[in-house]
Amino acid sequence: MSDLDRAIEQLRACRLIPESQVRELCYKARELLIEEGNVVSVDAPVTICGDIHGQFHDLMELFRVGGDVPDTNYLFMGDFVDRGFYSLESFLLLLCLKVRYPDRMTLIRGNHESRQITTVYGFYDECIRKYGSANVWRYCCEVFDYLALGAIVLGASSELEPTTASANDTTQSTMPIDDTELETEVLNSRGEVTMSTYRARQRSSSDASTDSRNISPPRDISAAPGQLSAPTRSGAPGTGAGGDSNGSAPGSRTGAVLCVHGGLSPLIDSVDKIRLIDRKQEVPHEGAMCDLLWSDPDEIEGWGLSPRGAGFLFGGDIVKQFNHFNGLSLVARAHQLVMEGYKEMFDGGIVTVWSAPNYCYRCGNVAAILELGEDTSSGGTVARSNGEYGRSNGVMGADSLSTVVSPGRRYRVFEAAAQDTRGMPAKKPVADYFLVSETYPLTIANSS
Amino acid sequence: MAAPQIPNLNSLRRGRGRGRGIGRSTDNGSDSRPSAKDRIVQGTDNDASVSRLSAVDLGYLTDAYATALTPRGSATRRFPIINRGTYVRTTAIDQLVTHFLGPYTPEQTQTKRKQIISLGAGSDTRVFRILSSRQPSDLVYHEIDFAVNTASKIQAIRSTPKLRQALGIDTPDAEVSISETGDALHSPSYHIHPVDLRSLSANTGSDLSTILPGVERGLPTLLVSECCLIYLSPSEAEQVVKFFTEHLFQSQPATPLGLVLYEPIRPDDAFGRTMVSNLATRGIQLQTLHKYASLEAQRCRLKEQGFGDGQAGADIEFIWKNWICEAEKERVAGLEMLDEMEEWQLLARHYCIAWGWRDGSDTSVFQGWTSLKAQLE
Repeated sequence: MSDLDRAIEQLRACRLIPESQVRELCYKARELLIEEGNVVSVDAPVTICGDIHGQFHDLMELFRVGGDVPDTNYLFMGDFVDRGFYSLESFLLLLCLKVRYPDRMTLIRGNHESRQITTVYGFYDECIRKYGSANVWRYCCEVFDYLALGAIVLGASSELEPTTASANDTTQSTMPIDDTELETEVLNSRGEVTMSTYRARQRSSSDASTDSRNISPPRDISAAPGQLSAPTRSGAPGTGAGGDSNGSAPGSRTGAVLCVHGGLSPLIDSVDKIRLIDRKQEVPHEGAMCDLLWSDPDEIEGWGLSPRGAGFLFGGDIVKQFNHFNGLSLVARAHQLVMEGYKEMFDGGIVTVWSAPNYCYRCGNVAAILELGEDTSSGGTVARSNGEYGRSNGVMGADSLSTVVSPGRRYRVFEAAAQDTRGMPAKKPVADYFLVSETYPLTIANSS
Repeated sequence: MAAPQIPNLNSLRRGRGRGRGIGRSTDNGSDSRPSAKDRIVQGTDNDASVSRLSAVDLGYLTDAYATALTPRGSATRRFPIINRGTYVRTTAIDQLVTHFLGPYTPEQTQTKRKQIISLGAGSDTRVFRILSSRQPSDLVYHEIDFAVNTASKIQAIRSTPKLRQALGIDTPDAEVSISETGDALHSPSYHIHPVDLRSLSANTGSDLSTILPGVERGLPTLLVSECCLIYLSPSEAEQVVKFFTEHLFQSQPATPLGLVLYEPIRPDDAFGRTMVSNLATRGIQLQTLHKYASLEAQRCRLKEQGFGDGQAGADIEFIWKNWICEAEKERVAGLEMLDEMEEWQLLARHYCIAWGWRDGSDTSVFQGWTSLKAQLE
């Protein structure tokens, strides 16, 4: 067993590895990450995960629900650290897995992977507390600077393979009829299907434009799903981009999926522009790199100021244009707590995936991960078209009849892990409530 | 969440035996022997003062007295979301208090006097902020809390000239008396009462003037409960309010009386359920939370419990959006990056401020409150 495997085993048990080993690990990780572009290409099948925030036990639950590494190909969209009490264990484990299985583990940067934010939101303090100095924090921050800013998932299937197990009475699904394909499926942590949606197979572009595909659960605390005008992702992929590096290859109807932590930027109209950013630095306070990590979709038109103080708000029209222009079928992002774990907006043009259940041990939310299946219809060849700059030039003509179809999406929803299982050291975390008490002794309430 | 997982040593330090049921509090049948639960609550009081200091240090609030009333060595930077919450809560209650007091006019300090009674005041600094800006004083300010809390506050006042100065009791001839046990303080404008609120209703038959010395039963009065009544059982909480509305303050002709509540609400959604269970693991039970679970329930409560002339409420998120002017919001938002928008909304929707009043003999006293924007739900 290699040192790395031993470290993985130790971290899986929520036990830290020595500082010297962290240093070595971070060095290796950087060597690996430096070779990655700003936008990493990932082939489906892949499981896309949102914020983790140091909730180590919930990360273990995520692996239980989503499958272990390397059996499952994972893409984590950042915010590994801060807030939770096990940022170190969580991030170092993910980093070990990245170094051990580079092709099965993609990590992109979240806005919390930053020196400034980690000093406010807990990771810095945790490093000091657990290692006695800021060294490990420094090593980790150096790794943060090399994390990719986004990923492009290629070759995702438009149709899901149906899951057999289902939670009988609670299943609410549209009737599967002939000539339909399974588009989305929601599973609980026991692997039972709780919801599925179907769509017509081989749709024409006009079908796509009338199909509302907001499947977010109703009791979400965030803004209600928008009633924006129906999307018209009807043009051939890449037509708006002058035919370079966009669109799907013939035979693959599914457009690529862009994964990024926060969202879009007014300075970025094409995926290729992301590739031009000099990313190896602390997250700036403004500019394209900042926006990708900080922005949020919102029920507005165009761009708006973000209440977070960094990044922007962007509306459904922006997403539609961006997806169309880049031959994308979906933007997957994290960054925002959603009570149901995931939330599709803008007729399925963008999805928020949130993977920290009962966030901060107090929010009462569930978490989700998003699985995209592999498209085997084109004989296993993966459409690379959006993976690398300059590829697939002119593959698609402007008059192509191909339609960019969104990938089949399987959401696995899970709750916070029981804290006392699997023999892991766990203390009951204390959630912080602001303003709870300007003191009145409680004994009086219980002394009668 | 600055290291809440580390035991709060200050709470242990302050759980000392002073003020254990002696003096006035014993007379009134209270028993403030420190217990494990006392210390938990002492810890939450420290939480509150530490949160206040954090908000002050970062520029959210201006409060010259925050440092003096926070246990030394416990200063901790809170998360932006907590700081904003502390800011909104403090600012909102300040606005209600300001509207109640009205503008300060030096020539009317004897004719336009008013009174504030703060329930479970703990280490609150409001009295210092108000009195320091209104000298000579046109109000009487009372704080009621357990002896263990009042003693530490009086200790802070004794050892801090700045606090005495704020209260106008820093001169040699100042009329100020502190009980032998160090848990009661009386001065012309400020009284600290080491009293168990629950014991008040048991004393309705006795001479009311001795229970809370210094309370003037004819003065327009504002009662403030910042997360205080919620710890009592529903009937106890109601009895406490009744003590003021029906017994202490005359009802014919009625003394103008208002009540400001600041409490958690909405315990029945996912966030609320988690909050209840998390607090339970800390030994904290918010006993009236389910009874007054909504703004509507809070308004009914105020109406039924003697504040018939007006009732209103708003959650903290609403107040942030509607009570704080745009320029100030921008200033506050610029103090720290707040990467917790969704969580902020969740948290801020689970705390409310409710206010109600009876006009009594003077309909002008609470006139100012009618201009405050309330949340209609």
